[in-house]
Amino acid sequence: MRLNRRGFFKVVGAAGVAVAGTGQNAGAWHSKAPKDPYGCLVDLTRCIGCRKCEEACNRVNRLPPPELPFDDPTVLDTRRRPTDKAYTVVNRYYTGKLDERSKLVPTFVKIQCMHCQDPACVSACIVGALTKKENGAVHYDVGKCIGCRYCMVACPFEIPAYEYYDPITPRVMKCTFCYERISKQGGLPGCAEICPVEALTFGKRSTLLEVARKRIKQDPARYLDHIYGEKELGGTSWMYISGEPFESVGFRPLPAEPIPRLTETIQHSLFSYLWSPALLFALLGGLMWSTHKKQNTSEKGGES
Amino acid sequence: MDAQACPVNQRFWTPGVVVLAFLMAAGAVAIVARFVGGIGYVSNLSNARPWGIWVGIDVASGVALAAGGFTTGFLAHIAGRHYYEPIVRPALLTAMLGYTFVVLGLIIDIGRSWAIWKPMIFHNTNSVLFEVAMCVMFYLNVLYLEFAPIVVERYKGRVRLPGLLAIFNGPAEALLSLADAVLPKIMWILIIAGVVLSCMHQSSLGSLMLIAPTKIHPLWYTPILPLLFLTSAIAVGYPMVVFETTIITSSLKRDGEMHILASLTRITIFLLGFYMVLKVGDMVVRGTYVYLLDGTAQTNSFLVELILGVIVPWVMLLCPAVRRSRRALFIACTMIVGGVLLNRINVFIVGFTSRLSDGSYFPSVSEILVTVGLISGLMFIYRVLVTYLPVLSGAHQEVSS
Amino acid sequence: MMKTLDRARTKRVAALVLLAFALVARTAAPAPAAAKAEKLSPPQGWVAPDRQRAIERAHENVPFVSQVKDECFVCRQQRLRNEGYGIDDITDACFLLDSPIIKKRSDQYMPVRFMHSKHAAALNDCTVCHHLRPADPQGKETSRCVACHRQAFDPRHPDRVGLKAAYHLRCIGCHEQMHKGPVDCLGCHDKNVPDHNRLVELPDHPKPSQVTVECLRCHKRQGREMLKTAHWLWRGNSAYTMGRRKEVQSGKGTNAVNNF
Ligand code: SF4
Ligand code: SF4
Ligand code: SF4
Repeated sequence: MRLNRRGFFKVVGAAGVAVAGTGQNAGAWHSKAPKDPYGCLVDLTRCIGCRKCEEACNRVNRLPPPELPFDDPTVLDTRRRPTDKAYTVVNRYYTGKLDERSKLVPTFVKIQCMHCQDPACVSACIVGALTKKENGAVHYDVGKCIGCRYCMVACPFEIPAYEYYDPITPRVMKCTFCYERISKQGGLPGCAEICPVEALTFGKRSTLLEVARKRIKQDPARYLDHIYGEKELGGTSWMYISGEPFESVGFRPLPAEPIPRLTETIQHSLFSYLWSPALLFALLGGLMWSTHKKQNTSEKGGES
Repeated sequence: MDAQACPVNQRFWTPGVVVLAFLMAAGAVAIVARFVGGIGYVSNLSNARPWGIWVGIDVASGVALAAGGFTTGFLAHIAGRHYYEPIVRPALLTAMLGYTFVVLGLIIDIGRSWAIWKPMIFHNTNSVLFEVAMCVMFYLNVLYLEFAPIVVERYKGRVRLPGLLAIFNGPAEALLSLADAVLPKIMWILIIAGVVLSCMHQSSLGSLMLIAPTKIHPLWYTPILPLLFLTSAIAVGYPMVVFETTIITSSLKRDGEMHILASLTRITIFLLGFYMVLKVGDMVVRGTYVYLLDGTAQTNSFLVELILGVIVPWVMLLCPAVRRSRRALFIACTMIVGGVLLNRINVFIVGFTSRLSDGSYFPSVSEILVTVGLISGLMFIYRVLVTYLPVLSGAHQEVSS
Repeated sequence: MMKTLDRARTKRVAALVLLAFALVARTAAPAPAAAKAEKLSPPQGWVAPDRQRAIERAHENVPFVSQVKDECFVCRQQRLRNEGYGIDDITDACFLLDSPIIKKRSDQYMPVRFMHSKHAAALNDCTVCHHLRPADPQGKETSRCVACHRQAFDPRHPDRVGLKAAYHLRCIGCHEQMHKGPVDCLGCHDKNVPDHNRLVELPDHPKPSQVTVECLRCHKRQGREMLKTAHWLWRGNSAYTMGRRKEVQSGKGTNAVNNF
């Protein structure tokens, strides 16, 4: 192996300088959550399971017609998840609560993308096709997507769905928070607009938190003192209040730590300004140089 | 270098090669089906289970098992142990083909294959996957350049393209001369860059799954997962070389380079031991050993991975008798390779659970066919390339037979 | 709820069949019958006076109450009872729960006719619905819903629900609690059926089968369902139906003249 020593030295030296200049730690992780986003408060004690929200979502997003019509009550007999054909679904849970006639009382739960404040999917997306907008929506730009489905791996709520049967141009499908509609003055998400009982309250997230606290305070017998999504994973734009324990209606207890924190801290402390690769390069270069020098002196340059 | 590498000159269509070709054809059919009917048509992937064996085996394991390329490169060129040079070329070829097939696997797995170039334009530096993609892309090019001198050595001044293609003889010759003139001068950059890029993405492959703390089983979900991935990749590099060299030498009836392999495994004892200490230590520190005996598929898989894939082969390598016996050495190295393979499968597939939706998953037949087809393709091309290019060292040929 | 829906569906199918009959009948029936029907039905464009008034009230402009009196529910209940509020004070027996505020957002259903007196008589407690009063002492004790509940999600009054939700929450909430009264959509609302005069496309003197085809153009599912009903599948008396006054020997699907 022939080695151009002078060039070698230059590169290694430059790398060393680069490391010395910029090699500080990237510093603490900062949340990138928007300051005053919109949100939606879902009041599970109000929802009557009419599925009008599903119907409205289907209409405003021009999704394909469902297999069974929206007014077919048998749909609620199965537990469903959002799919590539339905951004939101309402499920029925029997938690064991009885009314005064000893009949089981259903709890209906609408699920959709939570529009996390620090979304795992946004941090994960390889090309930045998913972004958290100022108004709170987690927005998908199909023009950038490559279909790696890492966002689906990342989402703790298991929300994004995929058009698995499209061979060439499949899309990631998830609730858009009606980004275009709510960007307009006075615009509402399709589901919140249609909901007959305002089980979905749309507004600024900060206002909604106040509303939720007030409702809980005014009727402590009706509500549990927990706003799901206030602290979970650093907060979500969609939040829930309920009269039944959240674990019994399909929610998982989640830490207050935003998911991207760990990976982003690792990535940025290791790779900001590429300091560690540069350092490694310099070290290996040094090692290579010294071994070659040693061998050259002992063998008088006798190598291939 | 005590043995000059030279092309293999033996009957090509052995029964094994025929089987490979057959598997390749089956895989090709499945791949065509994927590009006609969509991923859902051939695979069992679902919304709850977005990644299956195409990512777990073709990509993640493929990258790990191609680690022989940079570890031997480091040993022979950077640490200056030229004694090991006979194994550098085969390991380099494996790495080059391995990464090529990683990219092919990715092209099949991502939904919009034609958009695979987009990360070059749209960057998300927060994304671990972005970093992995960039490293793999650069490293693949580095590998091709590192391999180029072998092509130059064989064909420089001897380009004879058949028929009409003959008009390209001149340009091809010019290209080879250019490569011959430039490459040796920058080879040291390539070699170091290869090691640096490898370290970066081998570890980042572990960070990939750190984005899913609620889904990965706690036995594997640890903040040091990237370190574990890096150390295991480094540790598996030499056993992988032993593994494939043994297979090749026995199937091509060549000299086994036994002395080199045996000394490689002495290094492995140290590397694998380090990985083992990290892995067990991590388990103890985080207290996840409480899961070990609860009998679920995940914990059993972890136990197999740790005991059969790390501890037993490590103990085996400690015995000099094992290191001297070709067969025992092969078994130990196979176990290490299998252990790392299982580790990647565990992290990406077995340990991945979805609590909210039904994420049960077992690969479909056609999904497996794609993976098997790709691996067969890799082995087939390996066989073709060693036939035409000076990769395997040719000294002592037929000695063992 | 399911039962009601089922009933609604059979009703719909029946209505469809009737409609088909009616269309056929209109083209075929002799003139005198039509003349007689006209004499009995009210003149064109006539609306019952109380309904007319309800429509007008629903579109009245009601002054907005921005501040409500802070008063506990039981105090209010007792105060109103002591002051003698009751059915006497009701001005209108019937309301049309309609408003441009609701129409602006959605128009899937027809407005509900709400029997104010009937509900008041059954409950004998105004505060169930009139749960708060304006802070202004000059204001009326019992205001209309729309005085406070307007557009949903008004940022100035985030804890007030909109008019539509106020209606639904109160009605459904009570009905559920008391196990009385409808809780499903069609229990109160008629569907806002689009004007079929404009949708139906038929030649001037259609054949009966053409009419069926035209219905099925949109109502394919109902057509399929109809083929599964007894109305179509009936094949004569069974042990259970023998001796009934109106014996029917065969369903429409057998050898009826109009089995299309
Ligand atoms: S719920 Fe999932 S898809 Fe929605 S913003 Fe959060 S991480 Fe992204
Ligand atoms: S599938 Fe698309 S949106 Fe999701 S992470 Fe990959 S590129 Fe981003
Ligand atoms: S529209 Fe409102 S009440 Fe109806 S199911 Fe959806 S959230 Fe529940």
